[in-house]
Amino acid sequence: MARTPKDHDTFFLGAVGLLAWAVPGGGHFLINERKRSIVIFVTVVLTFLVGLYVGSVGVIDPVNAKPWYAAQLMNSPAVFFLGQISISGQFPVYGRAGEIGQIYTSIAGLLNLLCIVNAVYMAHVRSLDEAHT
Amino acid sequence: MTALTCTLLAGFTTPMRIDTTVGSMLWLLPLVVAIAVVYKATKVRQIEVRAFARETGLLIGSILVFIAVAALILYGVAWFVTEQIPAMAGGPAF
Repeated sequence: MARTPKDHDTFFLGAVGLLAWAVPGGGHFLINERKRSIVIFVTVVLTFLVGLYVGSVGVIDPVNAKPWYAAQLMNSPAVFFLGQISISGQFPVYGRAGEIGQIYTSIAGLLNLLCIVNAVYMAHVRSLDEAHT
Repeated sequence: MTALTCTLLAGFTTPMRIDTTVGSMLWLLPLVVAIAVVYKATKVRQIEVRAFARETGLLIGSILVFIAVAALILYGVAWFVTEQIPAMAGGPAF
């Protein structure tokens, strides 16, 4: 069965969303928003890395900090693998540094969630504009 | 090069030493910058360096002002509850 334009649109929006999740800024890159994607990539990745550096890899805790982990997971699927590494418990997390690290990595994830939604929305609006012209 | 890489990677395995001092509140600033930059990156129609920097700077400023006002109000409420109410009631503070 041939794909309708609507199927194609859904597939494309899904691809934009998935790429935006896989690589911060990737969704915007796919819809030719190069400057925007660079700004998003640099900011989200830097915020996440600063959080990891301040609090150690142990701030990604899929067992004892599930709500924070859910937010951190929005950065990229790669966080899942970091969670599997930190689950061993060999990376210490404590004190103010742990709190700051957790906040930084989680906020980075939530910012990327905003970018995922924005990329999908922009792609949708563009496809609507193209359909009308 | 290898030693530098190892040192850098080792930094990710142990937490930094950050005391619970007033100075540790400064860790808020980079986070505010990141939030403002990403938010504006999703909002502006075209990204042009000068306009983008101005809009982001404005947002950073407004967030910081709002945080300062909220902190002042909360400090006032805490001061009123812990100092003034016990004094009015004639009993000792907490």
